[in-house]
Amino acid sequence: MKKMTIANYIIAGILVFIFLMPVIYIISSSFKPINELFSSKPTFFPIQWTIANYGAALKRGEFGRYIFNSFIVAVSSTFIAVIINTMSGYALAKFRFKFDNVIMLVILSTIMLPLEVIMVPIFSVLKFFGLYNSLWALIIPPAATPTGIFLMRQYLLTIPDEIIQSARIDGASEFRIFFSIILPNAKPAIATLAIFSFMWRWNDYVWPLIAISSPKKYTLQLAIANFTGEFGTDYSSILAMSAISMIPMLIVFIIFQRQFVQGTVESGMKG
Amino acid sequence: MAKKVQSYRSYILKQKIVPYLFLGPNLLIFSIFIILPAIIGIYYSFTDMTLFTFDSPNFIGLANYQTLIHDEDFIAALWNTIKLVVVTVPIMFTTSLLVAVLLVQPLKAKGVFRAIYYWPVMISAVVVGIIWQWILAGNFGLFNTIVKSLGFDPIDTLINPKFAWWSVVFAIVWSRTGYYMIVFVAALLSIPESLYEAAEMDGANKLQKFRHITYPSLKAARLMVFILVTMEIFKIYPLVVTLTGGGPFDSTQFTVQYIYEMAFKKYQVGLASSMSVIMLLIVTIFTALNFFMSKRGENK
Repeated sequence: MKKMTIANYIIAGILVFIFLMPVIYIISSSFKPINELFSSKPTFFPIQWTIANYGAALKRGEFGRYIFNSFIVAVSSTFIAVIINTMSGYALAKFRFKFDNVIMLVILSTIMLPLEVIMVPIFSVLKFFGLYNSLWALIIPPAATPTGIFLMRQYLLTIPDEIIQSARIDGASEFRIFFSIILPNAKPAIATLAIFSFMWRWNDYVWPLIAISSPKKYTLQLAIANFTGEFGTDYSSILAMSAISMIPMLIVFIIFQRQFVQGTVESGMKG
Repeated sequence: MAKKVQSYRSYILKQKIVPYLFLGPNLLIFSIFIILPAIIGIYYSFTDMTLFTFDSPNFIGLANYQTLIHDEDFIAALWNTIKLVVVTVPIMFTTSLLVAVLLVQPLKAKGVFRAIYYWPVMISAVVVGIIWQWILAGNFGLFNTIVKSLGFDPIDTLINPKFAWWSVVFAIVWSRTGYYMIVFVAALLSIPESLYEAAEMDGANKLQKFRHITYPSLKAARLMVFILVTMEIFKIYPLVVTLTGGGPFDSTQFTVQYIYEMAFKKYQVGLASSMSVIMLLIVTIFTALNFFMSKRGENK
């Protein structure tokens, strides 16, 4: 038994190395001066630490703007996602109406229709509605996620009907019930949805790729990907921006680790 | 009394309308940005639409589909993607299950290990590509530095088609194992302890317990992981953009990249749409196969 436990720790330790080392290496590389970056004998940690790469990136490709764009998109899309997905989840959990099952089925089947398959016609639709090359195209359409609706519905099923009924008897309007009873009671599920939504939007590449053309509206991921080719071998800015793009996720992850685990378990969440 | 009846009626009426109001915003967005594009996409696939066709395009029947059957590069990209699915799905399944099994063993600081293994899931595919590109590429990358320090000659990494292809597999598994690990951990923890106790009384060893209790109990989780990983790999693109760019010699060119370039670099929207339709059909077939195989296992 003792032997088994020690073996477990050894394997667990090796896995820590495999999962963590590459991330630490990219962050440590981002603090290396150029001559060390392209040294023929690279070290794991910089010999001379510098933040010059970050300064260069912020100047060079207007990376400050891309960070700002990513933030605007992730925060506003998440806000909308929470409101509309909770509304839909509520309708599907607490109302019986003619097409409830059909609508549920349609919503769930859209999971099978990934964005990558419809990206060409989406481009036409965005153009038609004047959303092409606008951050709104990254905020509104992705906010409606089938997995988000599903997650909210599952959670709201657990709220007792009596609370809603007694509020109705007291004469509360349906929207009031939603805002003063449903939303506050759904906090744990909302937290899960919010952090997942933030992650999806912050890390997204395909939506911005289809919807955005002018560099002023690039998100961080789009900028990193597009400049990887253009900057050629000059990796200093790319490394710095990659490191920066991980920071918000790291913070969110450390604070909300439990919700991530919970959300993954509950619905097999896929953006 | 009359008032009560009336208010009851209006209550019933409300109950019929209100859910649609709550569903409204979502359904509107779904209709405009998923269902409408899906229909338009199918329509485009039968036309000679290009990115610069501003009038209505010509209907050309199945001509696009005939073209793509003879498009060797498309067939190659599609075949490459199917190979990637067939190779990566079992690897991902095995690694995430093994890591999950490790995490349900008696182990201190389990939460810390779980968090560290999950962490790559939070990194965007674009950055995952950068990370591994930076480690693997060239003779002076970290990878070849380690190889050299072990006394070997540096290896052709991302300029070697085979190596590049397996790097994609590796990067996917590295970045997504943590996610499916969580799914398996939850499934493992939901297996009743009494099953194991009963098996122990019958003198079952560890391996037998795994084969006859653990593995069969994971059926639902297994199906979910197979379907999710399959879909995920069919959609692969962002990771490849920064890791290999599709090269060398198209060895890591997969379907989505090919379709994207057909539409937005060669402007052949109609042709690209027919490719999307084919891709969707194949994804659906794979998903159905997963269902079918898990059903058949049940009857055994």
